[in-house]
Amino acid sequence: MTPMTPGTAEFLLAFADDEHLMGQQHTEWIGIAPFLEEDMAFASIAQDELSHAALLYAIVTDKGQGGPPDDRAIDRLAFDRNADDYRSAQIVEVACTGWAHALVRHWLYDTAEELRWSLVARSELEPLRDTAARAAREERFHVRHADGLIDVLVRTPDSAGRLAGAVNDVLPLATGLFDPVAGEAEAVEAGVTSAPFDTLLPEWTDRVRARFPDIDIGAIAAPASAGRARRHEDFAALMARMNEVRSIDPTAIW
Amino acid sequence: MHTYEVFLKRDGQEEYRHAGSINAPNDELALLLARENYLRRAEADLLWMVDRAHLLVGDRDFVAPNSDKPHRDNDGLLVAAHRKSQRGGM
Repeated sequence: MTPMTPGTAEFLLAFADDEHLMGQQHTEWIGIAPFLEEDMAFASIAQDELSHAALLYAIVTDKGQGGPPDDRAIDRLAFDRNADDYRSAQIVEVACTGWAHALVRHWLYDTAEELRWSLVARSELEPLRDTAARAAREERFHVRHADGLIDVLVRTPDSAGRLAGAVNDVLPLATGLFDPVAGEAEAVEAGVTSAPFDTLLPEWTDRVRARFPDIDIGAIAAPASAGRARRHEDFAALMARMNEVRSIDPTAIW
Repeated sequence: MHTYEVFLKRDGQEEYRHAGSINAPNDELALLLARENYLRRAEADLLWMVDRAHLLVGDRDFVAPNSDKPHRDNDGLLVAAHRKSQRGGM
Protein backbone atom coordinates (compact mmCIF):
# COMPACT_ATOMS: atom_id res chain seq x y z
CA MET A 1 0.00 0.00 0.00
CA THR A 2 1.32 3.41 -0.85
CA PRO A 3 1.65 5.74 2.13
CA MET A 4 0.49 8.55 -0.19
CA THR A 5 -3.07 8.91 1.13
CA PRO A 6 -5.18 12.09 0.96
CA GLY A 7 -4.27 12.74 4.60
CA THR A 8 -0.59 12.48 3.75
CA ALA A 9 -1.07 15.00 0.96
CA GLU A 10 -2.65 17.44 3.43
CA PHE A 11 0.20 16.85 5.85
CA LEU A 12 2.81 17.50 3.15
CA LEU A 13 1.02 20.59 1.87
CA ALA A 14 1.13 22.20 5.32
CA PHE A 15 4.86 21.60 5.50
CA ALA A 16 5.40 22.83 1.93
CA ASP A 17 3.29 25.95 2.45
CA ASP A 18 5.32 26.88 5.54
CA GLU A 19 8.59 26.43 3.68
CA HIS A 20 7.33 28.31 0.64
CA LEU A 21 6.07 31.36 2.48
CA MET A 22 9.02 31.45 4.90
CA GLY A 23 11.40 31.35 1.96
CA GLN A 24 9.51 34.15 0.22
CA GLN A 25 9.50 36.33 3.34
CA HIS A 26 13.26 35.95 3.81
CA THR A 27 14.01 36.76 0.16
CA GLU A 28 12.25 40.09 0.59
CA TRP A 29 15.25 41.26 2.68
CA ILE A 30 17.50 41.21 -0.36
CA GLY A 31 18.92 44.70 -0.73
CA ILE A 32 17.67 45.97 2.63
CA ALA A 33 19.24 43.69 5.25
CA PRO A 34 21.51 45.52 7.74
CA PHE A 35 24.70 44.85 5.77
CA LEU A 36 25.66 43.62 2.34
CA GLU A 37 26.89 40.17 3.35
CA GLU A 38 23.68 39.52 5.26
CA ASP A 39 21.59 40.53 2.24
CA MET A 40 23.01 37.67 0.27
CA ALA A 41 23.20 35.19 3.14
CA PHE A 42 19.58 35.62 4.14
CA ALA A 43 18.36 35.35 0.56
CA SER A 44 20.53 32.29 0.04
CA ILE A 45 18.99 30.65 3.10
CA ALA A 46 15.60 31.63 1.70
CA GLN A 47 16.39 29.78 -1.51
CA ASP A 48 17.10 26.66 0.54
CA GLU A 49 13.62 26.93 2.06
CA LEU A 50 12.05 27.48 -1.36
CA SER A 51 13.77 24.38 -2.67
CA HIS A 52 12.42 22.37 0.27
CA ALA A 53 8.96 23.65 -0.61
CA ALA A 54 9.37 22.68 -4.26
CA LEU A 55 10.51 19.18 -3.30
CA LEU A 56 7.55 18.75 -0.94
CA TYR A 57 5.03 20.05 -3.51
CA ALA A 58 6.59 17.67 -6.05
CA ILE A 59 5.92 14.70 -3.77
CA VAL A 60 2.26 15.75 -3.62
CA THR A 61 1.91 16.32 -7.37
CA ASP A 62 3.32 12.95 -8.40
CA LYS A 63 1.91 11.08 -5.44
CA GLY A 64 5.26 10.09 -4.01
CA GLN A 65 6.49 8.27 -7.13
CA GLY A 66 9.75 10.22 -7.08
CA GLY A 67 9.58 11.02 -10.81
CA PRO A 68 10.86 14.18 -12.49
CA PRO A 69 9.18 17.27 -11.04
CA ASP A 70 6.25 18.75 -12.95
CA ASP A 71 7.00 22.46 -12.56
CA ARG A 72 3.58 23.59 -13.77
CA ALA A 73 1.80 21.36 -11.29
CA ILE A 74 4.11 22.56 -8.51
CA ASP A 75 3.37 26.19 -9.42
CA ARG A 76 -0.36 25.52 -9.32
CA LEU A 77 -0.02 24.26 -5.76
CA ALA A 78 2.36 26.99 -4.73
CA PHE A 79 0.60 29.99 -6.27
CA ASP A 80 -2.87 29.21 -7.58
CA ARG A 81 -4.86 27.82 -4.68
CA ASN A 82 -7.56 29.78 -2.88
CA ALA A 83 -6.37 31.41 0.34
CA ASP A 84 -8.59 29.05 2.33
CA ASP A 85 -6.87 26.04 0.83
CA TYR A 86 -3.42 26.94 2.14
CA ARG A 87 -2.32 25.16 5.32
CA SER A 88 0.46 27.54 6.37
CA ALA A 89 0.95 28.67 9.95
CA GLN A 90 0.44 32.37 10.64
CA ILE A 91 4.10 32.84 11.64
CA VAL A 92 5.10 32.51 7.99
CA GLU A 93 2.26 34.74 6.78
CA VAL A 94 2.75 37.73 9.05
CA ALA A 95 4.78 40.63 7.67
CA CYS A 96 7.96 41.22 9.71
CA THR A 97 9.10 44.61 8.52
CA GLY A 98 11.69 45.15 11.27
CA TRP A 99 15.01 43.33 11.26
CA ALA A 100 14.70 42.21 14.89
CA HIS A 101 11.36 40.57 14.12
CA ALA A 102 12.67 38.96 10.94
CA LEU A 103 15.72 37.60 12.76
CA VAL A 104 13.74 36.26 15.71
CA ARG A 105 11.30 34.61 13.30
CA HIS A 106 14.25 33.13 11.39
CA TRP A 107 15.60 31.58 14.61
CA LEU A 108 12.22 30.35 15.91
CA TYR A 109 11.18 28.93 12.56
CA ASP A 110 14.46 27.19 11.71
CA THR A 111 14.78 25.71 15.19
CA ALA A 112 11.31 24.24 14.75
CA GLU A 113 12.02 23.21 11.18
CA GLU A 114 15.13 21.27 12.17
CA LEU A 115 12.98 19.26 14.60
CA ARG A 116 10.24 18.85 12.01
CA TRP A 117 12.57 17.22 9.47
CA SER A 118 13.84 14.81 12.12
CA LEU A 119 10.32 13.35 12.34
CA VAL A 120 10.34 12.33 8.68
CA ALA A 121 13.98 11.20 8.50
CA ARG A 122 12.86 7.56 8.44
CA SER A 123 9.63 8.08 6.54
CA GLU A 124 7.99 5.23 4.65
CA LEU A 125 7.72 7.69 1.77
CA GLU A 126 11.08 7.45 0.03
CA PRO A 127 11.19 10.88 -1.68
CA LEU A 128 10.30 12.47 1.66
CA ARG A 129 13.12 10.57 3.35
CA ASP A 130 15.56 11.83 0.71
CA THR A 131 14.30 15.39 1.06
CA ALA A 132 14.66 15.17 4.84
CA ALA A 133 18.28 14.07 4.55
CA ARG A 134 19.07 17.00 2.29
CA ALA A 135 17.19 19.51 4.44
CA ALA A 136 18.91 18.31 7.61
CA ARG A 137 22.29 19.08 6.05
CA GLU A 138 21.15 22.64 5.37
CA GLU A 139 19.15 23.41 8.49
CA ARG A 140 22.07 23.13 10.90
CA PHE A 141 23.68 26.05 9.06
CA HIS A 142 20.46 28.05 9.08
CA VAL A 143 20.20 27.77 12.84
CA ARG A 144 23.92 28.54 13.26
CA HIS A 145 23.47 31.64 11.13
CA ALA A 146 20.58 32.90 13.25
CA ASP A 147 22.42 32.00 16.45
CA GLY A 148 25.57 33.78 15.28
CA LEU A 149 23.72 37.04 14.68
CA ILE A 150 21.77 36.84 17.93
CA ASP A 151 24.96 36.04 19.89
CA VAL A 152 26.44 39.33 18.70
CA LEU A 153 23.31 41.44 19.08
CA VAL A 154 22.35 40.41 22.62
CA ARG A 155 25.58 41.96 23.89
CA THR A 156 24.36 45.50 23.36
CA PRO A 157 21.38 46.73 25.38
CA ASP A 158 19.63 48.41 22.46
CA SER A 159 19.74 45.31 20.26
CA ALA A 160 18.91 42.98 23.14
CA GLY A 161 15.85 45.08 23.92
CA ARG A 162 14.69 44.99 20.31
CA LEU A 163 15.13 41.23 20.17
CA ALA A 164 13.18 40.78 23.42
CA GLY A 165 10.35 42.87 22.00
CA ALA A 166 10.37 40.79 18.85
CA VAL A 167 10.23 37.54 20.82
CA ASN A 168 7.19 38.87 22.64
CA ASP A 169 5.48 39.68 19.37
CA VAL A 170 6.49 36.66 17.30
CA LEU A 171 6.57 33.77 19.76
CA PRO A 172 2.78 33.41 20.11
CA LEU A 173 2.47 32.98 16.35
CA ALA A 174 5.45 30.61 16.23
CA THR A 175 3.76 28.12 18.53
CA GLY A 176 1.09 27.84 15.81
CA LEU A 177 3.63 25.86 13.78
CA PHE A 178 2.88 22.95 16.09
CA ASP A 179 -0.90 23.09 15.58
CA PRO A 180 -2.01 19.69 14.30
CA VAL A 181 -2.77 19.79 10.62
CA ALA A 182 -5.56 17.87 8.94
CA GLY A 183 -4.17 14.56 7.78
CA GLU A 184 -1.36 14.38 10.31
CA ALA A 185 -2.88 11.44 12.18
CA GLU A 186 -3.25 9.60 8.89
CA ALA A 187 0.37 10.39 7.98
CA VAL A 188 1.52 9.00 11.32
CA GLU A 189 -0.60 5.90 10.74
CA ALA A 190 0.94 5.38 7.30
CA GLY A 191 4.48 5.77 8.63
CA VAL A 192 5.03 8.94 6.61
CA THR A 193 6.01 10.74 9.80
CA SER A 194 7.05 9.14 13.06
CA ALA A 195 4.94 11.29 15.42
CA PRO A 196 2.72 14.37 15.52
CA PHE A 197 4.77 17.57 15.34
CA ASP A 198 3.40 18.83 18.66
CA THR A 199 5.21 16.01 20.47
CA LEU A 200 8.34 18.13 19.87
CA LEU A 201 6.82 21.33 21.25
CA PRO A 202 8.43 20.78 24.69
CA GLU A 203 11.87 20.26 23.10
CA TRP A 204 11.44 23.39 20.99
CA THR A 205 10.29 25.38 24.03
CA ASP A 206 13.39 24.25 25.93
CA ARG A 207 15.56 25.52 23.10
CA VAL A 208 13.70 28.84 23.06
CA ARG A 209 14.25 29.21 26.83
CA ALA A 210 17.96 28.43 26.46
CA ARG A 211 18.29 30.95 23.62
CA PHE A 212 16.37 33.74 25.36
CA PRO A 213 17.00 33.08 29.07
CA ASP A 214 16.00 36.56 30.19
CA ILE A 215 12.56 36.38 28.66
CA ASP A 216 9.68 34.97 30.69
CA ILE A 217 8.21 32.75 28.04
CA GLY A 218 5.38 31.59 30.27
CA ALA A 219 4.16 35.17 30.52
CA ILE A 220 3.71 35.53 26.79
CA ALA A 221 0.07 34.84 26.10
CA ALA A 222 -0.64 32.05 23.67
CA PRO A 223 -3.13 33.06 21.00
CA ALA A 224 -6.27 31.17 20.17
CA SER A 225 -5.18 28.34 17.91
CA ALA A 226 -5.61 29.16 14.25
CA GLY A 227 -5.18 25.49 13.40
CA ARG A 228 -3.63 26.43 10.05
CA ALA A 229 -7.18 27.00 8.80
CA ARG A 230 -7.32 30.79 9.05
CA ARG A 231 -5.01 33.04 7.06
CA HIS A 232 -3.27 35.97 8.71
CA GLU A 233 -4.40 39.39 7.49
CA ASP A 234 -0.98 39.89 5.85
CA PHE A 235 -1.39 36.77 3.68
CA ALA A 236 -3.22 38.41 0.77
CA ALA A 237 -0.58 41.09 0.26
CA LEU A 238 2.17 38.47 0.43
CA MET A 239 0.51 36.38 -2.27
CA ALA A 240 -0.04 39.47 -4.40
CA ARG A 241 3.68 40.33 -4.22
CA MET A 242 4.66 36.78 -5.09
CA ASN A 243 2.36 36.71 -8.10
CA GLU A 244 3.07 40.25 -9.26
CA VAL A 245 5.41 39.29 -12.09
CA ARG A 246 3.99 35.85 -12.77
CA SER A 247 0.50 37.22 -13.32
CA ILE A 248 1.72 39.49 -16.15
CA ASP A 249 1.86 36.36 -18.31
CA PRO A 250 0.70 33.17 -16.60
CA THR A 251 1.70 31.09 -19.63
CA ALA A 252 5.35 32.22 -19.62
CA ILE A 253 8.04 29.59 -19.11
CA TRP A 254 10.50 30.50 -16.38
CA MET B 1 33.22 44.65 11.93
CA HIS B 2 36.33 42.88 10.73
CA THR B 3 37.33 42.39 7.12
CA TYR B 4 38.22 38.84 6.16
CA GLU B 5 39.94 37.62 3.02
CA VAL B 6 38.33 34.55 1.45
CA PHE B 7 40.29 31.79 -0.29
CA LEU B 8 38.69 28.85 -2.08
CA LYS B 9 40.08 25.57 -3.33
CA ARG B 10 38.66 22.74 -5.31
CA ASP B 11 39.66 19.15 -4.61
CA GLY B 12 42.62 18.02 -6.69
CA GLN B 13 45.75 19.92 -7.59
CA GLU B 14 44.31 23.40 -7.82
CA GLU B 15 45.80 25.77 -5.26
CA TYR B 16 43.85 28.02 -2.92
CA ARG B 17 42.76 31.13 -4.79
CA HIS B 18 41.72 34.48 -3.43
CA ALA B 19 37.98 34.85 -4.06
CA GLY B 20 37.26 38.19 -2.42
CA SER B 21 36.65 39.66 0.99
CA ILE B 22 33.83 39.90 3.45
CA ASN B 23 32.86 42.02 6.45
CA ALA B 24 31.71 40.20 9.56
CA PRO B 25 31.59 40.92 13.29
CA ASN B 26 33.44 37.73 14.32
CA ASP B 27 35.00 34.50 13.06
CA GLU B 28 31.85 32.37 13.38
CA LEU B 29 29.71 34.78 11.35
CA ALA B 30 32.55 35.29 8.89
CA LEU B 31 32.50 31.57 8.11
CA LEU B 32 28.71 31.38 7.89
CA LEU B 33 28.41 34.49 5.74
CA ALA B 34 31.21 33.34 3.44
CA ARG B 35 29.40 30.04 3.05
CA GLU B 36 26.28 31.81 1.77
CA ASN B 37 28.13 34.49 -0.23
CA TYR B 38 30.96 32.54 -1.87
CA LEU B 39 29.93 28.88 -1.79
CA ARG B 40 26.23 28.86 -2.55
CA ARG B 41 26.81 27.50 -6.04
CA ALA B 42 29.36 24.87 -4.95
CA GLU B 43 32.27 27.06 -6.07
CA ALA B 44 34.80 25.08 -4.03
CA ASP B 45 35.41 22.13 -1.74
CA LEU B 46 37.60 23.88 0.83
CA LEU B 47 37.65 27.32 2.40
CA TRP B 48 40.33 29.41 4.07
CA MET B 49 39.57 32.73 5.70
CA VAL B 50 41.87 35.16 7.41
CA ASP B 51 41.14 38.36 9.27
CA ARG B 52 42.86 41.09 7.26
CA ALA B 53 44.40 42.34 10.51
CA HIS B 54 46.35 39.09 10.71
CA LEU B 55 47.82 39.26 7.21
CA LEU B 56 51.58 39.84 6.96
CA VAL B 57 51.88 42.70 4.52
CA GLY B 58 54.90 43.75 2.51
CA ASP B 59 54.19 47.32 1.39
CA ARG B 60 55.46 49.02 -1.80
CA ASP B 61 58.51 50.42 -0.10
CA PHE B 62 59.40 46.92 1.12
CA VAL B 63 58.82 45.24 -2.23
CA ALA B 64 59.91 47.85 -4.83
CA PRO B 65 63.76 47.69 -4.53
CA ASN B 66 63.70 44.40 -6.42
CA SER B 67 61.94 45.90 -9.45
CA ASP B 68 65.04 47.35 -11.19
CA LYS B 69 67.44 44.38 -11.21
CA PRO B 70 67.29 43.08 -14.78
CA HIS B 71 70.57 41.23 -14.13
CA ARG B 72 68.53 38.82 -12.03
CA ASP B 73 66.30 37.95 -14.97
CA ASN B 74 67.33 35.08 -17.17
CA ASP B 75 64.86 34.09 -19.82
CA GLY B 76 67.35 31.64 -21.36
CA LEU B 77 67.07 33.13 -24.87
CA LEU B 78 70.82 33.72 -25.33
CA VAL B 79 71.70 30.23 -24.15
CA ALA B 80 69.02 28.71 -26.38
CA ALA B 81 70.33 30.63 -29.42
CA HIS B 82 73.88 29.52 -28.70
CA ARG B 83 72.94 25.84 -28.37
CA LYS B 84 70.85 26.04 -31.52
CA SER B 85 73.86 27.40 -33.48
CA GLN B 86 76.08 24.59 -32.13
CA ARG B 87 73.59 22.01 -33.46
CA GLY B 88 74.18 23.24 -37.00
CA GLY B 89 71.82 26.15 -37.38
CA MET B 90 68.56 24.24 -37.94
